[in-house]
Amino acid sequence: MAQPFPYTYYACDCYDGNNTSSTKRASQLLQEAEEEERTFDPRSPRANYSLYPLEHLLYCEDCQQVRCPRCIIEETLNWYCPSCLFEVPSSVVKSDGNRCTRSCFSCPLCTSNLQTYSLDQTGESAPPFILECQYCRWSSLEIGIEFEKGQGIAAQLARLGNGGKHIPTNKERDKERERRREVEMRKSRDLLSPSTESTNTDTERDDRPPSHDDLFSNLTAFYKSQVDTQTPSNPFSSHDINFSSPSAYSRIMNLYSTTGSKKNKRSKPSAMREAASSLEGLTIHDPISDAAAIERIKREGWGVTLSPAQKHAQINPNVRFTDEIRPLATLLCTKRSKRCRSCRQILTKPESKITSTRYKIKLLALNHIPRLSIRALNASPPTPVASRTAETFDYNALKPGIPAHFLLHLSNPLFDSIKVTLATPSTTPGKVHSRVTILCPQFDVGANTDIWDDALSSSLSPIKRGSVSEGPAQIEAGKIWDRGRNWTSVAVEIVPGFTNSQGSGSEEQELEEDEDVLEIPIFVRIEYETDAGADDRGLGDSRGSKGEKERREEAFWTVVGVGRIKGA
Amino acid sequence: MSSSGERKVSASLGRSVRGTTPRLADLASTPEAPRTPTLGRSVSSLFGSPGGSFRTEDEYVVIELGSRYVRGGFPGESTPRCTLSYDPDNQRRVGDYRQWDPEYGQKRRKPKRGQDWGQEFELYRMDLSQVDLGVVEDKFERIMREVYNTYFVLDTKPRRILLALPPKMPHALMSTLLDVLFGGFLAPSITLMSSPVLSTVAAGLRSALVVDIGWAETLVTAVCEYREVHEQRTVRAGKLLSEEMAKVLNAALDEHAGYQEFDDISFKEAEEVLSRVGWCKSKPRSNRRTLYFPARTSPILEEFEDAVETPEPTVTIPLSKVSPPSEIAIPFATLAKPADNALFATETALNEFDDHELPLHHLIYRALLSLPMDVRRLCMSRIIITGGVAALPGLKSRILAELEALVHTKGWDPVRNYGTASARHDHILRQQKEAVELRRQEGDDKISESLDPDNPLPAGLRGHEEDTIDAKLAHVALRNGPPPASVVGGIVRGVETLGAWAGASLVAQQRIRGIVEIDRERYLQHGLQGASKEKEVSVVPQRQSMGPGVARGAGERASWTLGVWA
Ligand SMILES: [Zn+2]
Ligand SMILES: [Zn+2]
Ligand SMILES: [Zn+2]
Ligand SMILES: [Zn+2]
Repeated sequence: MAQPFPYTYYACDCYDGNNTSSTKRASQLLQEAEEEERTFDPRSPRANYSLYPLEHLLYCEDCQQVRCPRCIIEETLNWYCPSCLFEVPSSVVKSDGNRCTRSCFSCPLCTSNLQTYSLDQTGESAPPFILECQYCRWSSLEIGIEFEKGQGIAAQLARLGNGGKHIPTNKERDKERERRREVEMRKSRDLLSPSTESTNTDTERDDRPPSHDDLFSNLTAFYKSQVDTQTPSNPFSSHDINFSSPSAYSRIMNLYSTTGSKKNKRSKPSAMREAASSLEGLTIHDPISDAAAIERIKREGWGVTLSPAQKHAQINPNVRFTDEIRPLATLLCTKRSKRCRSCRQILTKPESKITSTRYKIKLLALNHIPRLSIRALNASPPTPVASRTAETFDYNALKPGIPAHFLLHLSNPLFDSIKVTLATPSTTPGKVHSRVTILCPQFDVGANTDIWDDALSSSLSPIKRGSVSEGPAQIEAGKIWDRGRNWTSVAVEIVPGFTNSQGSGSEEQELEEDEDVLEIPIFVRIEYETDAGADDRGLGDSRGSKGEKERREEAFWTVVGVGRIKGA
Repeated sequence: MSSSGERKVSASLGRSVRGTTPRLADLASTPEAPRTPTLGRSVSSLFGSPGGSFRTEDEYVVIELGSRYVRGGFPGESTPRCTLSYDPDNQRRVGDYRQWDPEYGQKRRKPKRGQDWGQEFELYRMDLSQVDLGVVEDKFERIMREVYNTYFVLDTKPRRILLALPPKMPHALMSTLLDVLFGGFLAPSITLMSSPVLSTVAAGLRSALVVDIGWAETLVTAVCEYREVHEQRTVRAGKLLSEEMAKVLNAALDEHAGYQEFDDISFKEAEEVLSRVGWCKSKPRSNRRTLYFPARTSPILEEFEDAVETPEPTVTIPLSKVSPPSEIAIPFATLAKPADNALFATETALNEFDDHELPLHHLIYRALLSLPMDVRRLCMSRIIITGGVAALPGLKSRILAELEALVHTKGWDPVRNYGTASARHDHILRQQKEAVELRRQEGDDKISESLDPDNPLPAGLRGHEEDTIDAKLAHVALRNGPPPASVVGGIVRGVETLGAWAGASLVAQQRIRGIVEIDRERYLQHGLQGASKEKEVSVVPQRQSMGPGVARGAGERASWTLGVWA
């Protein structure tokens, strides 16, 4: 994996539990029962979605469970631009959208930040201004856009089309539509009357095909008028509908009872119809634009076209060529608090100040769940020289077929000592079968007592092995390797499997990406006793008198990434 | 939302809610059928009157789901806030950032064992035997979280969802998707609308033949008055096209000197080449074997084998996934071959195709053929070509030309002339010329005849008079009828759409309720099984069922159905 070896992932099993439809629930329960028996397979396609580094997980104290990004609910506290760090009130987010409305933009080609520059030669910061990418050198000049002011670029850009054309506002669009409708009306009237002189005066304004936004605005207006014309035909005023009034009721029933009767059939022209012109959003397919695009690709080639990613990043993704792109206003970021999905308990809440990275509440899993890690134990050959290789052990070249020893290290963040049981399948799932033996799968880990206790007692740790001076380390089944104040390590023997399939069939057995990575699923169960009712939040609770102990148990799957097996 | 709160609302406002919110079916009312009264309350909100805050909980987000993309945004906006694709790079474990590693970016990724071309880039397949619904749920949940957290950035108020879906999605798959939206994103209700209907809305039309050239299949849906009346499918779509493009590129790589390893082109490379420089010959090749063209004057006949240009134009394609990065030059004409092969299968005789692999133009022709005459008349003049592949330059023109040629040879009802999609200027000129003719004919009563869908005019009567009649209609329209362009029929004509997402945005903005509206509480209790079994398909039963609904005064719908998804 892209994480450096060795690493540990923790599985959150919430995907089984958060199903909503009852139809699924029954079958899910059965499946869960089966799953108890089943080994977690880090290579199953679903594993990618349930495995997290410990640092990414939260912990709900009420549910006493790990919470991953899937089993929490997020609530936005505030919005800000990550580039200019300006906080945006929610009303503005609602009206102006999810992007910075000041001058923050990213490059439409490479997504780096764009910078505002003055083109003025005198060195003064005077107009015209442009946006330029510091990384790929793209500038707004390439789409024919210059700005008059160095500030408020977003507002200026909203009115500037590529090539410096004016982009109409919605109001201007409405006005223009009305004007053209008038013209059209006049035209068709002229068409039917002898004087045909006044036509064609406006045709040159029709030349530019309407943009996506023009058409959308035309369609919006068209449907609005459709709904409107349909509405007034009913006998109610729009503001005092009261369906419980008997008269209103009978009027409705009257309307319905006309079903099948021909009484009103032709009395009114149908208001409901299709759009009839581009003013109403209708566009007849025109092969000319197709032909132009083909011709352009032929003439100018790859360089003037946009990649799929560049297109999709655009506000209007229906673009093809580099002269159609627009600078991308920076997406706003949010500060969010997170709650437990099942009990709604707040798990994290950041300070509301934009520049602060601190949290008011932060319940991290790493304060509640033991941390498991693995590293190579440099056991063989036990020469003084080789001992230095402990630091330079090549996790990217595990030798297939040769037993190697590793240490599983488990540290306890809790204030109570815990009893740990580890379980692992004897051979790893997947294409490459490696053999794994945890030499001491059951052990205790000390409490996370005051750090000073540790400082005082560290020199007298009960066992101290594996250091250079003691020569060959002894690995004994059933015995822990080492222990400290709140940690314990045990040895694991691993025989990495062979990456080349050994004569099993003639089929193509080439390994896929990461199939040579040695990952071990380890099931961790911890048991401990703690003061009943006394949560870490220190809420004085009357339940459970002081000194009364409560047994707790937690269990979860982890996946330990040991390294990459060398091809034979 | 507490259920008690909701009940209160329904007691006082519910009935009017029921009556005020127009549904798409209401828009579908025909002049003959009585219209449901749709009152101005929700409409008035569009003008910013006090009525606007009538149903504040009625805020929507608009989501369109395809097998490879999800689009999400807000009602009334012309484009979605985001268009996200299912990419294996986004499907890794949290904390795995390898795609940002420049070295990794230069490697070509091989598809996983046993997976089809591009399968890792799909959310789902309609064939559930090839799908692990658990993985679908995982993928969908993750991408929706990105949509909500990165692009929607909503406040805490839950939003209703208008969901654009392909019609006929298997229920198990729908449940999986709805579970995520109800469970993970707390939607109070989800309104389902079918993509072809929404594409029709976004074209300004009420009836259309929607040709959705998607990823796994092309779906031809005849929509009449906002209802699906017929559909046909073929596997000739994006996936085949992309595979054909990969073949072309692999062949070019093989010839390319300096390649020891014949590393096959990756999915992403083929996709990028296709979307950047892929194209389609916009006119059918005169193919003597299939004899498209009868001996009559038609612009299609003028098209012979493409003239050979010298030197042959080529396109240089950079390859970044090889080291050192290099480029290959491919003849421009070759880049049009994948479309020929994958979508039109020009080299194969018609009788060799299975039903599910018909070339596009034959599929469309068959779809039209199976429609009742009056619906066909409407649909053939409202061909909407949409879907991911539709942007391929030349493709729309080609499909329309091929179809026109087919209709010419096979016919059901001869068409008038080619070139109805000609430039506006032509049209205006013609209009003027014919104004004279028009005046002469005024008073004639042919209009009503041509409007009557049950008695389409014999071809001979129509012929070149098209514009005359249209102009005449314009005249009538000015007084009281619909404008001429909205009643065009009987000719092959392509109409552009802004796409299903834009259609959904329009529908949500006008607060038109869909037929399939799923309430959160009900769904959580009963799942999709809660839907009543009746299909609301035809306009009339729908209308009748609304009467008692109002009479009972039920604010919420007493029952809901799955419409086309039932
Ligand atoms: Zn979880
Ligand atoms: Zn900013
Ligand atoms: Zn750049
Ligand atoms: Zn909880």
